[in-house]
Amino acid sequence: MSEQPARAQPGLMDRYDVSDFFDEMFLPSREPRPHYQQLHERLLEMTAEAFNERRGYADVSFLYQGITFTVYGQKTEGIERIFPFDLIPRIIPDAEWSHLERGLVQRVTALNQFLFDIYHAQQILKDKIIPAEIVFGAKHFRREMMGIKVPKGVYTHIVGTDLVRDDNGNYFVLEDNLRSPSGVSYMLENRQAMKRTFASLFQRYGVRAIEHYPQELLNTLRSVAPHDNPDPTVVLLTPGIYNSAYFEHSFLARQMGIEIVEGRDLVVHDNRVYTRTTKGLQPVDVIYRRIDDDFLDPLAFDPTSLLGCAGLINAWRAGNVALANAVGTGVADDKAVYAYVPAMIRYYLNEDPILENVPTYLAVQDKERDFILNNLDRLVVKSVNESGGYGMLIGPYASQEERDTFRNLIQANPRNFIAQPIVKLSRHPTYLNGELFGCHIDLRPYILCGEKITIVPGGLTRVALRSGSLVVNSSQGGGSKDTWVLND
Amino acid sequence: MLSRVAETLYWMSRYVERAEDVTRILTVNFHTLLDAHVQDSPAGWRPIIAITGDEELFTSQFDEYNARNVSEFLLWHPANPNAITTCITLARENARSVREQISSEMWEHLNRLYFLVRNLKREVGGRGPYEFFDQIRQGSQAFQGITNETMAHGEAYEFIQVGKHLERADKTVRIIDVKYAAVNDLSEGPEVSLQLIAMLRSCSAFEAFRKTQASQLQAARVAEFLLFSQEFPRAVSYCLQRALRSVNLISGDGGSPRHLLSPQRALGRICSELGYLEISEVLDQNMHPYLDRLLRRLNEAGVEISTTYFNTQVILPAQPRQQQSQQQQQGR
Repeated sequence: MSEQPARAQPGLMDRYDVSDFFDEMFLPSREPRPHYQQLHERLLEMTAEAFNERRGYADVSFLYQGITFTVYGQKTEGIERIFPFDLIPRIIPDAEWSHLERGLVQRVTALNQFLFDIYHAQQILKDKIIPAEIVFGAKHFRREMMGIKVPKGVYTHIVGTDLVRDDNGNYFVLEDNLRSPSGVSYMLENRQAMKRTFASLFQRYGVRAIEHYPQELLNTLRSVAPHDNPDPTVVLLTPGIYNSAYFEHSFLARQMGIEIVEGRDLVVHDNRVYTRTTKGLQPVDVIYRRIDDDFLDPLAFDPTSLLGCAGLINAWRAGNVALANAVGTGVADDKAVYAYVPAMIRYYLNEDPILENVPTYLAVQDKERDFILNNLDRLVVKSVNESGGYGMLIGPYASQEERDTFRNLIQANPRNFIAQPIVKLSRHPTYLNGELFGCHIDLRPYILCGEKITIVPGGLTRVALRSGSLVVNSSQGGGSKDTWVLND
Repeated sequence: MLSRVAETLYWMSRYVERAEDVTRILTVNFHTLLDAHVQDSPAGWRPIIAITGDEELFTSQFDEYNARNVSEFLLWHPANPNAITTCITLARENARSVREQISSEMWEHLNRLYFLVRNLKREVGGRGPYEFFDQIRQGSQAFQGITNETMAHGEAYEFIQVGKHLERADKTVRIIDVKYAAVNDLSEGPEVSLQLIAMLRSCSAFEAFRKTQASQLQAARVAEFLLFSQEFPRAVSYCLQRALRSVNLISGDGGSPRHLLSPQRALGRICSELGYLEISEVLDQNMHPYLDRLLRRLNEAGVEISTTYFNTQVILPAQPRQQQSQQQQQGR
């Protein structure tokens, strides 16, 4: 492209098409929205060449710092790739953010009460708000957790809730990630990159800071230490360097100044967890674990696991160590249970939900299943336990054969499937091959839940880097943007 | 510091040192054989494998000791866990899993060294690949320098030092052992000098030795220098003093010898013996048996380091069984 003889310098947005989606930057009239005004002007000033140059700086600094994720499937060593980063920030006005913040706090509060309830009295089941079979049939319901008292009653210390906007610009919750949501290191690194490349614009905008996230995370973890220990030892438990999110584990451990440990570094004695160190065994109070329930403790769960530590669950049950997140939280991000979160909010908090769910049909309910099967070409069908964009059918874009496969799967195991109408995800100007296109985005804020609930303003905005693609996960060719929440 | 991290750093360091030592031994042998009467004879190459202690493994893979086979074995042969490329690869793998503990300069350098050996073509094996040897040697030396200058000299650094010095002491003892035997088999003549020079060069010690002993090249003096020098960085005594110093920094000196940990005792004992021994006493009881015993004791010190720092276990309160386990350890 650059070999063409230079005519007039091409602008970045000459051919930008707002189309009939909700565009974050532009009104349907193609006027920029007020909070995008300054950014829009700056982009008009820039040639594609100048923009590309800045992009180059950012990419190189990501590579040098090793901000990469691992792609599996190579022969011996995983290939390390940089996570695609788009330099055009997503901007959220203060009022809009306050609304989201209140909605998220409400939602996470209800989810924690729900988790406490179903692992204790199960009142919500007795009152028939949620069908018991939905909860007991969830893959991540852990009967081993019945009656366990978790420190400060907190189950979900770190939550990543995925929000999307429809074609009217209304926010919806797409899913809650209550096990160990990842991506927060990209949120922090994106901010660093933006500050370097668009310093003056950043300053003029008055963007709220997010750099304190690691400190807030550490405060949250420390606040749930058992026995009210005023100076607890916190560690981050990783599956090891071959895990795709290892960069994030190492990054967060360094930022918090805590030790990053593997299962083999831990030993349990007398229901107390210790790290093996060169100075003998040192007690551990709080474990920020980034491995799944199944692998935590071969004595309690998968007996073949080498990633965890034998006896860990007993130490936890004895109240001598805190696990963040707690075991068994996955029951609440099952996509069939998700459908009942608004009901939970009404039941536990006696409030109306501030943030709505995407309408969801459960294949396990006879009527809804009929509706799903009759409308496969118009719905998105999702398997209740999968995440990362795997195990789903996007009806309108699927072949007849794929739809038939899902029809059979749904009939064989209805509990395993839900369906939702296609949300026409909002779009955001994004740089692709020399100019800006509208690409679909979502938003994952990170909610920290200890003695109080804390949300750093913003989160990770993920963007589908293939024009037209609706899937924004990093494993499916997605990228990310910095998210600017403005001061009022 | 986590035991796993300490162990990883220790082995990273040992592997880098091992790669350099093997490279130097190979280089020196190529040079020495150029001056010898028999250039590609088994007699010229067998001792090299003897130094690495992998004779059995070698004979299971090759029929004959010659330049091509020995170089191939030591450079890259997949069956040889101590091959130079394997050592560099393992050093890099170790570094990779403790990236947050070492400086990014160290990581980058080791990574570069890894890509260098990974791209090594098989053909360089037989033809005396001096340039490649030089790159490995410089790469390893630069790594030590970068480590020294870019990393905080705390506990992690000391574990790197322990690994380096134990590996180096081990290799120096083996070089003395094999080369001294070779010299003993020769009658007086220029051959003896050539072999002694090779022994010194294998430890980068020729110039340093010359500065202290200008008069003549005698086997006993060379062995004395390589064993007992407190100043030369590859002499056994120097290496062990350094290793002991690092171990003391890691664990504290305990106030009195009564309060020392087993690695400190093991290293301290060897150090004081080397400090007070005279070369004539070693020669009286014959070189080989003495060096053999020294190697075993170095190994034992390594085992003590593993047991104390790397295999941290739950120690149950005093029970009758405890005594039994102590005896088992002593019997090792």
